[in-house]
Amino acid sequence: MTISDDISSGWKSTDGKRPPVFLLASAAVVAIAALIPVAYLFARSINAGSDWIDIVWRPSTAAVFGRTFLLIAFVTVISVVVAVPLAWLTVRSNIPLRRVLSVASVLPLVMPSFVMATTVIEMYSPRGVLQGWLSGLGVERLPEIYGLGGATLVLVLMTYPYVLLTVRGALRRMDPALEEAARAMGYGPVHTFRVVTLPMLRPAIASGSLLVALYTLSDFGGVALLRYQTFTSTIMIQYESSIDRTLAAVLSLILVAIAVLLLLGEGFTRGRGAYHRSTVGAVRVSQRVDLGRWRWAGATAVGITVLIGLVIPVGVLIQWLVRGLLNDQELLPLLVPARNSLYISLLASVATVLAALPIAILVVRFQSRLSRFFERAIYIGFGLPGVVVALSLVFFGINVARPLYQSIWLLIFAFVVLFLPASVGALRSSLLQVNPRVEEAAQSLGRSQWKVIFSVTVPLVMPGALAGGAMVFLLTMKELPATLILSPIGYRTLSSSIWSAASEAFFAKTAAAALLLVLVAGVPTAYLTLRGHNDGSDQSDRIDEPDMESPSETVEVT
Amino acid sequence: MPWSKRPVDISIQPGVASSVAASGAVSNEAGVIELQGVECSYPGSDSPVISDFNLLVKPGEFVSILGRSGAGKTTALRVVAGFEKVSSGYVRVGGQLVGSSFVHVPPDQRRIGLVFQDYALFPHLTVAKNVEFGLKGLPAEERRERIAPVLKMVGMSGYESRYVHELSGGQQQRVAIARALSPNPVALLLDEPFSNLDRQLRAGLRRDIKRIVQETGATTLLVTHDREEALATSDRIAVMGDNSIEQIGTPEEVYQSPVSAAVAKLIGPCELIPGVFRGGVIVTEAGVFPTRLTTDIHMADGQQTLALMRASELEIELADEDDQRTATIEMTEFEGEFTEYSIRLDSGTLLRVRRRAVDEIGVGGRVTVHTRGDSKVIVFPV
Repeated sequence: MTISDDISSGWKSTDGKRPPVFLLASAAVVAIAALIPVAYLFARSINAGSDWIDIVWRPSTAAVFGRTFLLIAFVTVISVVVAVPLAWLTVRSNIPLRRVLSVASVLPLVMPSFVMATTVIEMYSPRGVLQGWLSGLGVERLPEIYGLGGATLVLVLMTYPYVLLTVRGALRRMDPALEEAARAMGYGPVHTFRVVTLPMLRPAIASGSLLVALYTLSDFGGVALLRYQTFTSTIMIQYESSIDRTLAAVLSLILVAIAVLLLLGEGFTRGRGAYHRSTVGAVRVSQRVDLGRWRWAGATAVGITVLIGLVIPVGVLIQWLVRGLLNDQELLPLLVPARNSLYISLLASVATVLAALPIAILVVRFQSRLSRFFERAIYIGFGLPGVVVALSLVFFGINVARPLYQSIWLLIFAFVVLFLPASVGALRSSLLQVNPRVEEAAQSLGRSQWKVIFSVTVPLVMPGALAGGAMVFLLTMKELPATLILSPIGYRTLSSSIWSAASEAFFAKTAAAALLLVLVAGVPTAYLTLRGHNDGSDQSDRIDEPDMESPSETVEVT
Repeated sequence: MPWSKRPVDISIQPGVASSVAASGAVSNEAGVIELQGVECSYPGSDSPVISDFNLLVKPGEFVSILGRSGAGKTTALRVVAGFEKVSSGYVRVGGQLVGSSFVHVPPDQRRIGLVFQDYALFPHLTVAKNVEFGLKGLPAEERRERIAPVLKMVGMSGYESRYVHELSGGQQQRVAIARALSPNPVALLLDEPFSNLDRQLRAGLRRDIKRIVQETGATTLLVTHDREEALATSDRIAVMGDNSIEQIGTPEEVYQSPVSAAVAKLIGPCELIPGVFRGGVIVTEAGVFPTRLTTDIHMADGQQTLALMRASELEIELADEDDQRTATIEMTEFEGEFTEYSIRLDSGTLLRVRRRAVDEIGVGGRVTVHTRGDSKVIVFPV
């Protein structure tokens, strides 16, 4: 028997239900932990005193600023231009091999940026493979690969899948009646696409673009190999080269500010229109447009993207591996880094999903001001580049949590903070499908709220937990800056050992490790993609690629 | 201690109020479910969903709460189950105070079996595991022993290893009932249990539930907006107006003597036409009828009243030239045993009369309206 009291009305959810104390407590711990990096970074930068302003107004800071924005703009625009037609072709047209191409076009997602960068350099540099083929055709010399051009190419290849996935989700959910109404009013197909379809896709394009921009902002490996200096790579260089890390901390705060700006910008593009369907009831599936003779051209367009983004990079890696094995060249040791990578990624997945669970349950089942605050607190990780979280945790580890410093636990902690939004998003969409009456039924059968969560809620959100876990696993495998900064000395993972060989231009040595990484990261990606494509299952209508739909549900920072 | 651990008696003994007798908590005079002046409102809204709600369900009794949607029926049920807190009044289950402004026993400690409108079966468990769910705390062997008779009782033997999505709606309903009954609850609550089933299935399942409830002797509270359901299943019906109970009684009592126009409309199809009360009769546009009162309100001569016109209590005759109050037959619907006549009064009001089509009164005919035999028309104050 409990005595009811209304003292803590702020804790009460909007439908009057009060969450169990253990749920609130664990969610509070997670939310506070997620806030540590930013809070600590602030504290550290304030200590810098007046140096602060000097650093911000330095001409070199402005130059880095300009370069970063230029890259973000290029990558975002080109990704959208590539991804929107691809999304339409793979969802709404009758191109041949549609299903295969549809999965394959997402798979460049598994390539870590530093691996993609090595293959791009090998392939497209003035002394690369392509030049070799083209010289027979009279092409004297390909343009320089290092710099803005190469960095843009690498990042576009890796990030267009974000826009592709969000736009595809929106196309699938769109009520076909809207387009049909326009057609019935006498608009032609092209005109209809422009005045109805495209505006409806705007939020999806915006949130996909946001992912692309944030990724570009936080990428380290790709831009560093292509010798294009952005904020993130500047911070890494500062961190590695100087004893005083105040500069790195201040630059990190600027990076956070840019991320926040991008987030706000995305919200701004949404405007005031409503984009969801205005009616309830089952969604009909749009008919696929018959492209006639043009369907082969459509398939070719998608195919070329897959070729450049997936087949060629993997092909280059395989060629390096074969050549290395034939010539008995030295390859990176695989066993220990692979084991470490797996271990860390599994730990990070489990820890992140466990941390996400109380937040997701609280947000879905007990909506209140407090639960909204928790949700926002954990979304901080979404905008934070890995390098920032890692740096802040270094300071935190040295000054506050000394026993954790130089242990893998600080690294795991960083991954949890970074990838919490992704797994909360997956869990939340899964939880939204669980009828709350089922939980009540369990409670009326004599189980306490606590036991209901474990005997009913958790088993029912298992698909979401698996999807979230798979997502975190993939992201952890690929992650570079946090891994470099926070790994204990001598602790090698696949990504850090590939990086150290690649940064010294021993590309061929990385082949086996890179292939392994792509393969291992490919498994969860294939799982996530196929889950979204499983048209027959009753879940797919409601949660198409739930982990990628909106920025509030996903994260990707490497 | 989970309540399923207490001594229980699921063995089928007709007529024995096993659950209450076994729990030994209350004597047979007290109610199994008791709501006294209960008020319940949702946060952020000023008007309560239910207020001054009074209900007493006796051991072994089957009571239905009948009301239109939005009246607060389901809220009343959820108050009993413990999913809603009350802002004033008292809720007792099995003689124990479980809800008031200062006490709230959580649902898991109330020993209430609840059957949800959408069944809410556990999709990740088999039929047997669903039924077993409430038996946690008993030895495994005993649990298994108790599942079989319960499933047999609801006619679901042989489906133990099926999953919920492999069952039809009616089968899911049966499993939901088995699941609710298996831990031997103090009372069984049914929330619109038939609304998700198609019509043919409903009548059969309704009879089954009544039989099951009689066999186990379970005290049952059912919530419905379907009068047929309430009339056919219940020992007593509690008719709900807006947020409180207007009348409670046996189905016959409530049907024969509704205390208000609102109750009359809920309990059976009818028309209410205005008239003037004059010395024991009511003068209406349709005719002059003998009256009867269902409340002890004093009715003065010349008072404006409403007359309750039910199709089965009316009779029509072909009108003569000099009849003053006549109506026109607008439509006839042959229903086999009876024919239903739609009769348009001169003011435009439509009445229905149900009778055997023994003579040839057809569409367009002018008729006079009477009461059948010695039945009297119930009148309500306006």
